[in-house]
Amino acid sequence: MLKAIKRFFGDRPSGQEAKKRMQFVLMHDRLDLTPDMMEALKNDILTVLSRYMEIDTDTIKVDFEQGKEYTALVSNVQVKRVHRRTECTR
Amino acid sequence: MAGRTIVVTSGKGGVGKTTTVANIGTALAKKKHSVVLIDGDIGLRNLDVVMGLENRIVYNLVDIIEGRCRKEQAMIRDRKLGNLCVIPSAQTRDKDSVQPEQMKGLCEELAKEFDYVFIDCPAGIEHGFKNAIAGAQLAIVVTTPEVSAIRDADRVIGLLEASMLRDVHLIVNRLNDRMVKKGDMMSTEDIVSLLAIPLLGIVPESEDVVVSTNRGVPLVHDRNSRAGTAFQGIAARLNGEDVPHSDGKDVGFRDFFRKLFSGQ
Repeated sequence: MLKAIKRFFGDRPSGQEAKKRMQFVLMHDRLDLTPDMMEALKNDILTVLSRYMEIDTDTIKVDFEQGKEYTALVSNVQVKRVHRRTECTR
Repeated sequence: MAGRTIVVTSGKGGVGKTTTVANIGTALAKKKHSVVLIDGDIGLRNLDVVMGLENRIVYNLVDIIEGRCRKEQAMIRDRKLGNLCVIPSAQTRDKDSVQPEQMKGLCEELAKEFDYVFIDCPAGIEHGFKNAIAGAQLAIVVTTPEVSAIRDADRVIGLLEASMLRDVHLIVNRLNDRMVKKGDMMSTEDIVSLLAIPLLGIVPESEDVVVSTNRGVPLVHDRNSRAGTAFQGIAARLNGEDVPHSDGKDVGFRDFFRKLFSGQ
């Protein structure tokens, strides 16, 4: 009964929670990216982006998301200003 | 024609590898195939006791590898089925006494004489695992619907693929229908989608398993056991028969697996 009430208030069944957790865990296990590699990836993304726009380097976040049939890399970073074409440094 | 060499593995211990080997092997032998079961867990002997053959051991796997006996001398014939043999593991030796190349050689020899060679892999992913998979053409990964077993299964699947063993199939053991219905256990669909390998069979959680290992008589001899029936279905599927994954579920569920199997 207590369980039914808990579920009513949005507590999801433990089986679903296990599945969600495993999706995340297995994705990370399979990628096998060390924290150092994640840091390097972040820096590389920043380097490429800075060629085209001025960005707030402190705001960058890199995460992986598990879709049904894909794994997505999601990166968010705040853009301060986009360079004019002539400013592009390559 | 050479027989098939199949390794049963899991990563995590205690998920039912030995029970699986004993039951699938016995089921195939009951169908008149010649079968040999190898206990690959050197140092921790188990398959013989699950099969009820612990009193007959003279020689073991390491004795064959090190040339102290002919392989026929170490093979123990099953009590009921003349076409079923077990090669027990050594109990006193350390697990480094066998090398992958030697296991591969032995499996090739055995496959000339038997239709099926099964290897019961030790838990873990170290030396014993590498020995157990060395001679196999097909791998069966056993998991239970628990997070730790699934994570280890995923690691093992990765290692099998890295060792060029690409024919990998899944058995979900100890599934509790009642808990799945309540939402408190991951369903077979959940596990298959997580591990992304084809499903070979589902074995329901059952007290019969404990009773059968107590007696040393594999479950597939018992006609009234659901778990035993599940193992028979798995054996039949391995043998190329088209047996649906049914255990009293609705049609939608079966269709899901039929689709999975046809690779659509």
